[in-house]
Formats: sequence, structure tokens, C-alpha cells
Amino acid sequence: MSGETQTQTQTQTGSQSETDHDQGPLASWTQGVISNPDRRSLLYRALFYAITIFFLVTTLFPFYWLLVLALTPNSLILGGEWDLPFLRPQGFNPEAFVEVFQQIPFHLYVFNSFVLATMTTIIVIVISSLAGYVFGRLEFPGRGPLMLGILMVSYFPPAAFLIPLFEAFTGNPIVAPFIGVELFEPPRLVNTPGSMVLPFSALFLPLSIFILTTFYAQIPDGLEDAARVEGTTRLGALFRVIMPLSAPGVATAAVLTFIAVYNEYFFSSIMALGNEPQQWSPLVGGLLQYQSLYSTEFNLMAAASIVGVLPVVILVVVAQERIVSGLTAGALKE
Amino acid sequence: MSAEEQSGPARESRRSGPLVAVTRWMENLGETGFAYLLLTPVFVLLGAIALYPLLRTLELSLYTNIIGTGEPDFVGLDHYVSLFTGESDRWLPGTSRFLWGDVAVTGEFPFVHVEGLLRSALAVTIIFAVVSVFFETLIGFGQALVLDQEFRGRSWVRVAIIIPWAIPIVIQGMIFYLMFHPSTGFATEYLANYGIVAETNTLNDPFSSLLIVTVADIWKTSAFMALLILAGLQSIDRSLYDVAKVAGASRWQQFRLITFPLILPTLGIAILFRTIDAMRIYGLIDSVSSCTVVPSLSCMVVATFGSQRGLASAIAFVTAIIIGIAVMGVIYQQYKEGL
Repeated sequence: MSGETQTQTQTQTGSQSETDHDQGPLASWTQGVISNPDRRSLLYRALFYAITIFFLVTTLFPFYWLLVLALTPNSLILGGEWDLPFLRPQGFNPEAFVEVFQQIPFHLYVFNSFVLATMTTIIVIVISSLAGYVFGRLEFPGRGPLMLGILMVSYFPPAAFLIPLFEAFTGNPIVAPFIGVELFEPPRLVNTPGSMVLPFSALFLPLSIFILTTFYAQIPDGLEDAARVEGTTRLGALFRVIMPLSAPGVATAAVLTFIAVYNEYFFSSIMALGNEPQQWSPLVGGLLQYQSLYSTEFNLMAAASIVGVLPVVILVVVAQERIVSGLTAGALKE
Repeated sequence: MSAEEQSGPARESRRSGPLVAVTRWMENLGETGFAYLLLTPVFVLLGAIALYPLLRTLELSLYTNIIGTGEPDFVGLDHYVSLFTGESDRWLPGTSRFLWGDVAVTGEFPFVHVEGLLRSALAVTIIFAVVSVFFETLIGFGQALVLDQEFRGRSWVRVAIIIPWAIPIVIQGMIFYLMFHPSTGFATEYLANYGIVAETNTLNDPFSSLLIVTVADIWKTSAFMALLILAGLQSIDRSLYDVAKVAGASRWQQFRLITFPLILPTLGIAILFRTIDAMRIYGLIDSVSSCTVVPSLSCMVVATFGSQRGLASAIAFVTAIIIGIAVMGVIYQQYKEGL
């Protein structure tokens, strides 16, 4: 048996399946794959590229299709003349990308999103730096249970927080649960950044804490000690030595928080009551506005989606190393 | 470091004022005291935005007549009971209900017929979570295996695979909304030919919409799965594969005997994590279809909290409990591995 395989291998490597008429092309090819390691690895390579291309097409096609839709004049879209299966723009109408900002002030929504995301990121980084320092570098009783508690909070559904938060943000007095004692009357926060930045900060804080704990724990004790000998306070050592040395970790946490806020839907759509940019409604509000008020302007919906997606795409391309390391280091720890 | 801080204890003792006093007080705290001091902001934020609302939700769920004039009435566990008996279904949007109806077994395919399964918020949430996480794991595993190879342009392929994960939910929803909208959707015609989605009014058909929402979620979140699995793959000791090669193991055997068992703990965590996340589904449904067509638990909370606040609180708390059970699984996993 082994001798037979040997000769087959030789004939096939010599004559390259097309000239091999004794067996059908498929049979000889299969034989070749089975017996010849070179051919087998060639098949693996081909399969590998086929799978890679499949993944690329399925992930990127929806974006291409948005572009097609944005560039096609709306009258043609409504006419419904599409050439399938290879969609391409019917006509060329880049004005859609200008019109997006004229129909509704879409730039204001994007601006709101940026402001909300930046504010949340700053709050989250400051608070999670303190917490990351504590969890990563200090030994104290209750460390494990506290980390588990924070972990649990990050898993609860936003819907479980919504109703009391909505009550509080619409200016109703805060009542201590089950005791019935009125604590204080909060300011009316709906339609202001506060009503979104506060929930966002709480929701996305745990991930940052876990990322920064990992990174801060890696800084050698000697460096902190040296800074302390030089006369800095403990907090000074954190902000002047540990944080700068963990810059990649801080950047990771910041990028992930920014993306998470920019992408958030639940509170973004509820806490701005009317989806108006003056009410600090972010990107979500702008797109929903197109979906509900301008429900036949399909090219504008697509163009608005592209405009809204560009900032995160740029961020992902620039910061992909950070995102990958953060998600894998932080999320697996989480 | 600034000059004044290098000047030593002589000047330090001469300085006074509140800031210096606070600094000195902080420096003299023990390690535990200092730790809890630095954690104060975390406690305040999470206490106010998570713990307080959670407790208050539980309290509100015991009352009715919360909105409007007059004192709220204490009804105890009535809301929870009425959710499970179906009495409160009339408050839910459209024809949605909380539980599914009767289960009947007949000779017709698929043999077990559950009446109103797709109208049930609980069933839809669970179906969505299970189906989407199953396919995300499969596809994510495939993507991770691709990204684990060395090849030219690997980082660009990685970017392409991550991008869907990073885009806003509302845009993800918009893409699939436009794909299946009667005026623009090219996909409806294709899939309707095979009977997969409804031919007309696709986005108002419960089954089609649930399918579209599930596919949209798989498209977006497979990448997240892929990254977690990739991290697990890359932590496997490469020399194991060398040993396997010397021992003459085929690639399939290498995968089955080395890769898969070693990746299993990571996979378990990733699956639990995604399941918890999937059960929160709201935004995608709201932007692709609507909560009346595809009811999910979070959807029901949002749809009812404007009128029936006590009932909405009860649904919210049930959601929290269901997710809490899954969280226990994660915590147990973490505990086993030692946090």
C-alpha cells in the first residue's frame, strides 16, 4: 500500500493532474491532496483565503451598500430599479452628504455625541485610575468582594436602572428605598448632558477599572518607591509616575469608553426627551429623526449613517492595537 | 517634580493651610483607609446610578398608581403574579405578552407548537440570546482561527473584522432597516423567494423581524467573540503544536486534542458574557423594527414605564433577576479560576 502511494505521488507530481487521464481530474486531485503534503498545504492555503475573503465580504458589504444607497439619487431609489446581485450606485449624487446637514442639523447631533463621549471618558478615566491604583497596587481587606461587586454592577441591564433614574432626572425627589424618607430634590437633568453622562459613567466604569487594574499592577514597586523618596505624595506618585508609565493602558480604557458612549442607544434615546439637538440628543436622536420625520429620504439616511460611522472607523483604524489588547486583557479579566 | 516639593522637611513643616493639612492627613492614613478613600468616587457613582435605582425599582414594583395624583397603592407581589398569570399582558404594547401561551404537541412539523411564542417578551429575549450567541461563537471562532495565522495584511483583516463591533447600534439598526425596507431593501426579495422572510411588510412580521435582528446582532458582535477567543488561542503554548507535529497528528487532531480543550475555559466565559449582554437587547429592535413587533424584556420596560410604572418596575426587576442568574455563572467561573 505504501509503495503504491509512493508511485502515485511521483506520477502526480510529475504530470500535474491535467495530463493524468487514467483517473478523472477530481479523483487524481483528491489523491494528490491526500498523499502530497505540498498540495495539502496548498489546499489549506486556498481554503484559508476563501474563508478570509468570505469574512471580509460579509463584514464590509453592508458599508459598501450604505455608500451605494447614499450616492444613488433618492428618486431612483424610490423607483426601485436595482441591478442585482452586484449592487452599484445608480447615478452619482454626492450632494446627499451636504444635504444631510441641511435637512436637520446633523452636525449638532454628532457634536453632542462627541461632547458626551469626551465628558464621560474624562470622568471614567479619573475615577477608574484611582480605583485601578487601589485594586492593582494595594492590599486591603475586602478587595476581592469589592471587585466582584463592581463586576456584578457592570452586568445588570440598563433597564433595571432606568425607572428610578428617569424619576430622579425629571426632578422628582430622591426617596430612600423602603424607608420612605425623602432625601433631597435633585435638579431636573433630562435634556442636559448630565442625564446621559452620569449613567454612561456608571455603566462603562467597571471595564476601565479592570483594564487599569491590570496595567497599574504591572508597574514595578521600585519606581513608585523612588518617587515617594523624592517627596511626592501617594496620589502624586499615581498621577506623575504610574499613570504616565501605563499610558497604553490609559489610552486603551479611554478609547473603549469613548467608543462605548458613542455607540450607546438605551439612555441616549430616552434621556433626551424630544430627539432635538438643543436637548443634547446625540447621534441616535439624529438618525431616529431621519427614520421618523423624513421616512422617504433613504439616501439621506444612508449618508447620515456613513457620516456617523466615520469617526469610529477612523478611531478603530488608528487604535486597533489598543482596542484588541484592551478587550482581551480587560474583558477576560472582567 | 516641581521645585517646592524637593525642598525637604524643613519647608514642609512651615507650610500650612487646608490643602497641606488634607495632604498630610491622606499621607498618614493606613493602607486600608487610603484604599477606601480612593474608592469613594466609585462607591458614590455606582451607589447613585446602580445600587439606588436597583433597590428603588424593587420598591416601585410593589406599588401601583405611581404616576398621577394621589398616593401610590401598595400591592405587594401582585405585579409579579399578574405577569406570570398573563393578567398584565393587556398593558404591554400591541399584542405582546410576557409568557408564552399553551404548548401543544401535534403530528405537524415542528411537532411541538407553542402558541404565541413570538409574542412573548420572555421567550423572544431567550430565543434571541441563545440563537445569536450560538452563531456568534461559531463565526467568532472561525474569525479567531483566521486572525491567529500569520499572513500579509493580517492587521487590515483584523480592522475589517472589528469595525462592525465598533459602530453605533443605531447605525447597525439603520443598515438592516434599509436592507429590508420595502422601498430600498434588496434582501427581502431574495430571501422571500426561499420563504425565509415575509414577502411584504417584512419589518412588521414578528418572525422575519426577529430573524433580521438576530442576524444584525451576529454581524456586529461576532468580532467581539473573535477577539476574546483569539486571546485564548494566543495564550496556548506553541510548542504543544510542535510536539503534535512530530507525533504525526493531523491538523484536525491538533485542533481537537490541543486547541479545543485549552480554549474551552475562555470560550465558556465569553459565551456567558455575551449571553448576559444579548439579553439586554433593546436598541437594535427599536431601530430596525419596533417593540410591538419584536418584544424583548427591556423593550417592555421602556414601553410601559410611562403609564404603568409599577408594572414596568416589576418587568425590570425580573429582567435583572434573569440576568443575575447568568451573572452567578460568571462569578462562579471567576471564583474557580481565582480573581
